[in-house]
Amino acid sequence: MSSPEVLVIGGGPAGVSAALELARAGIDVTLCEQGPRLGGAIHRQPDDPTQSVRVPRSHKQRWQAMSDELAASTVKVLCRHMFAGIEATGAVLLEDRIHGRLVTRRPAALVLAMGAIERVAPVPGWHLPGVVTVGGLQVMMKSTGRAPDGDVLIAGSGPLLVALAAQMASLGNAPVAVLERSTRLMSVSVIASLLRAPAYLWEAAGYLLTLARSGILPRRGAFVTAIAPRDGRLSVTTLDRHGRERQMLVDRVALHDGLLPNSNGTMAGQHGPFIVRAGDCREVLGGTAALADGRLAAHAVLAQIGKAVRATKVPAAILARERQAQAALNTLFDYSGRDPAQLPDETIICRCEGRTLGQLRSMLSGDDPVSAREIKLNGRFGMGACQGRFCAEWVASFVASQRADGSPPQASEIVGSRWPVKPVPIAAFVTLPPSHPSE
Amino acid sequence: MAVVGAGIVGMSAAHFLSRAGWQVTVYDAGVVASGATGSADGAVSVASKKPGPLMTLAVAAVKFYEQLVATGILVDEYLPRSTFVVASDHEELAVLERHAGELEAAGVPIRMLKGAALMAVIGAAAPTAIAAAEVQREGHAVGYRVVERLRQLGGFAIRRNCRVSGFESSNGCITGVMTEQGTEPADAVLLATGIGSMHFLAESGLIRPRKGQLIVTDRAGADSPHFPGPLMSCRYLVSKGSQPADSAVASRSLGLVIDPLRTGQFLIGGSREDRDDRETADADVVATLLRDAVALSPSLAQLRIIRVFSGLRAATRDGMPIVGHVGGAENLWIATGFEGDGICLGPMIGRLCQQMICGESPEQDISALDAARFGLTLAAAA
Amino acid sequence: MSDVQSFLFDGVSIPCTGRETIAAALERAGIRVIGTGQGDCTGRYFCGIGACQACLVAVDGARMEACLTPARGGLQVKRILPVSP
Ligand SMILES: Cc1cc2nc3c(=O)[nH]c(=O)nc-3n(C[C@H](O)[C@H](O)[C@H](O)COP(=O)(O)OP(=O)(O)OC[C@H]3O[C@@H](n4cnc5c(N)ncnc54)[C@H](O)[C@@H]3O)c2cc1C
Ligand SMILES: Cc1cc2nc3c(=O)[nH]c(=O)nc-3n(C[C@H](O)[C@H](O)[C@H](O)COP(=O)(O)OP(=O)(O)OC[C@H]3O[C@@H](n4cnc5c(N)ncnc54)[C@H](O)[C@@H]3O)c2cc1C
Repeated sequence: MSSPEVLVIGGGPAGVSAALELARAGIDVTLCEQGPRLGGAIHRQPDDPTQSVRVPRSHKQRWQAMSDELAASTVKVLCRHMFAGIEATGAVLLEDRIHGRLVTRRPAALVLAMGAIERVAPVPGWHLPGVVTVGGLQVMMKSTGRAPDGDVLIAGSGPLLVALAAQMASLGNAPVAVLERSTRLMSVSVIASLLRAPAYLWEAAGYLLTLARSGILPRRGAFVTAIAPRDGRLSVTTLDRHGRERQMLVDRVALHDGLLPNSNGTMAGQHGPFIVRAGDCREVLGGTAALADGRLAAHAVLAQIGKAVRATKVPAAILARERQAQAALNTLFDYSGRDPAQLPDETIICRCEGRTLGQLRSMLSGDDPVSAREIKLNGRFGMGACQGRFCAEWVASFVASQRADGSPPQASEIVGSRWPVKPVPIAAFVTLPPSHPSE
Repeated sequence: MAVVGAGIVGMSAAHFLSRAGWQVTVYDAGVVASGATGSADGAVSVASKKPGPLMTLAVAAVKFYEQLVATGILVDEYLPRSTFVVASDHEELAVLERHAGELEAAGVPIRMLKGAALMAVIGAAAPTAIAAAEVQREGHAVGYRVVERLRQLGGFAIRRNCRVSGFESSNGCITGVMTEQGTEPADAVLLATGIGSMHFLAESGLIRPRKGQLIVTDRAGADSPHFPGPLMSCRYLVSKGSQPADSAVASRSLGLVIDPLRTGQFLIGGSREDRDDRETADADVVATLLRDAVALSPSLAQLRIIRVFSGLRAATRDGMPIVGHVGGAENLWIATGFEGDGICLGPMIGRLCQQMICGESPEQDISALDAARFGLTLAAAA
Repeated sequence: MSDVQSFLFDGVSIPCTGRETIAAALERAGIRVIGTGQGDCTGRYFCGIGACQACLVAVDGARMEACLTPARGGLQVKRILPVSP
């Protein structure tokens, strides 16, 4: 009997680590990545290997070691293969973008390591061209090896803000400003927690040093209140911690308010493979944890299919340490975003469908407690192509803020919960061979 | 008045009953439109109806929608348009011509399109289409939006997440509705519970779930060919509704409708499967529907599917809806079993229920739907 | 660079290297508005990881996220213009 196939989705550290660990145990593994190359968010590889962004040496070495092992392993790597979900009979759907077709697999187990997506708190004008996510701008920069041109404003909250700013500065175009919403400062207890995972402290110190040299240390307590187009550029209104308003004219605004697991529509059904999530797709803990979590996921799969697992407490210990470090780190940031009650009615909440806060507000006027499903269907919030990934949380929290009766809807009622996980071209779908003739 | 079920039938009935002076409460086990009404296409259409009472009622139901628009109740929620039934071979053409004749006999305006006229009117049709019947003067309404409009117009109370488990009665009359949140008094009850109706009836196997899977695409681009209205494959006429639900084997059939929505998206459907796993959709059905859709209209291949969902139709043993009085209690009425026609018929049925309950003679002849044909009685457990 | 090729974006020739995405090539060409977009929102590069769907373009007739799709010489890339309601 041939050995059972395991499918791993996502070519970031979690997915690659899971695939390698399974291959080491002699399992037949296929690794699928939607993009053209492996690496994920943290180890994104440059388009032109001679032009790359400086990343910490340890990151580089880690990825090199993994790539080498992968190349020598039995893992089958399929790039430009998008996981589209698990359909009713349990088949895993993969959109093969190289050949423009849909293929199905029935693996014994499925490891989902699709990483995180960024949270961006809505502000008026966040849907304009030139407004990007901080991670999105970093992706562009890591790919091209060049800093984005023009005047760039970075705003929101989280460690990614200074990372991007410093990388831009090193490449010769520092941002005009970094606005960090949080006013919380490093405390002794945070430093103590981070000392157990000192890489973060070193990384942060390096970034801050670079920024200090460029004279653009983050302005704490400041945030963006509105973005508007002006003369082909973006006019940004900001508020600082003393309540002072300021206008800036820039070419780009990069926003970021933390990360969320990218696990939409991946609920296990009645049929279908054993599913394990790994890395940021399960719990947002960063790259080091993703490596360990990939191994843990592989062990869970091995246990499930009855293969012996080499006993080791190492990955679990790493995960615990990283969880503590991330928790400490997160106390420094403020991911709450702007109180929607303070946003003007014309602020777009659902960008795919162009639905505004005012439209949401009017759906909630009156005593009748309309449900999340009614808001979704009739208000069209979360009904567009991104399937609510970027608005569900804000819709839910706004509804909750308007309701005194303690019945806030869950974001999960607005986010898409079914396959396809992402839109699938009809041209690809029709290539699926019929399993039985149509009547 | 207690109306059980906040689908299109229950909400329409609640609307008309409250305007007739009743104090109405609508109870739903889920939320508004959480049953078939929230997971349907919205063909307000005669095109696919079998000749007979259902076709006659559908003709009246289309006029009723027009009336609701004229009186301001459903302004913007009903989109008048033609349906195009397309034949792709000579066998289908024969079926099409016969069906067109029957529609005309029922007073439905029809235009047969062939050759250049066909291509001029339906730019999106495949070159393999040999003829189409344009069924004129019908339209589209989204079930959950109709219900939302009725909710906004108000005049009655809605109790969400409040399942009705049975009734309290005395002297052959219902006096109260038993819910998860306690018993509440009622002078009369209308069951508009769709697939949930069997819980209340003594008969078994009268109403069966018939699953339908539907596909939603992203928006068409400005360069996409023109869809003047929904395209229906002539094959749909063979599979559509009005099939009795008592066939022993779990069967599945596919009929194709490509429905251009006002958003620029398309709804592509649908399957008819005798099963009740409403939360799932399978790739085989979806791929088959999409293959047929692309064969009928090749330009669809440029689009993407963004969502797939399914709903459960309430199919009766004889393929006809059930509207009328339920034995075992004097003040209990029922309106259910609308299979694939409830969005079309729902508002009018709501009105007819109101007339029936108020002791007026209904505007339309609904004797063919009468619950008495099954001798319905209230289940002992209810 | 030896591997410079070009694709057409709404008829305009855009140079690209064999390894970059359509989004990266458009960015280098200074093109920010990459579609009329849906729901009053202009088509644009936003999340960079294929999640937000804002950078959708038609690549040889098929809709693809510009940020995930490799640019190749000879491709016909077009902005997707929505139908007017
Ligand atoms: C935009 C962004 C930038 C970041 N930058 C940094 C940074 O600079 N430093 C840092 O320490 N951390 C960064 N992070 C945090 C980062 O998520 C983790 O450090 C680490 O990369 C997590 O690893 P992972 O394997 O869990 O996920 P990822 O590295 O995100 O890998 C997930 C992979 O899955 C693929 N994928 C997603 N959906 C599908 C699908 N449907 N089908 C097939 N493949 C799919 C993705 O293309 C991706 O390659 C960033 C996160 C984001 C979202
Ligand atoms: C895929 C699909 C496509 C369709 N396309 C069309 C079309 O194009 N044109 C057309 O005319 N029709 C179409 N239909 C049919 C149409 O959707 C239904 O006939 C119609 O919605 C039925 O409405 P209803 O009010 O009778 O039932 P439902 O909408 O099902 O409402 C019944 C309600 O009763 C509630 N309920 C049940 N039991 C209880 C209880 N014990 N206590 C409290 N509440 C309870 C349920 O929660 C539900 O909300 C389609 C249906 C499907 C599934």
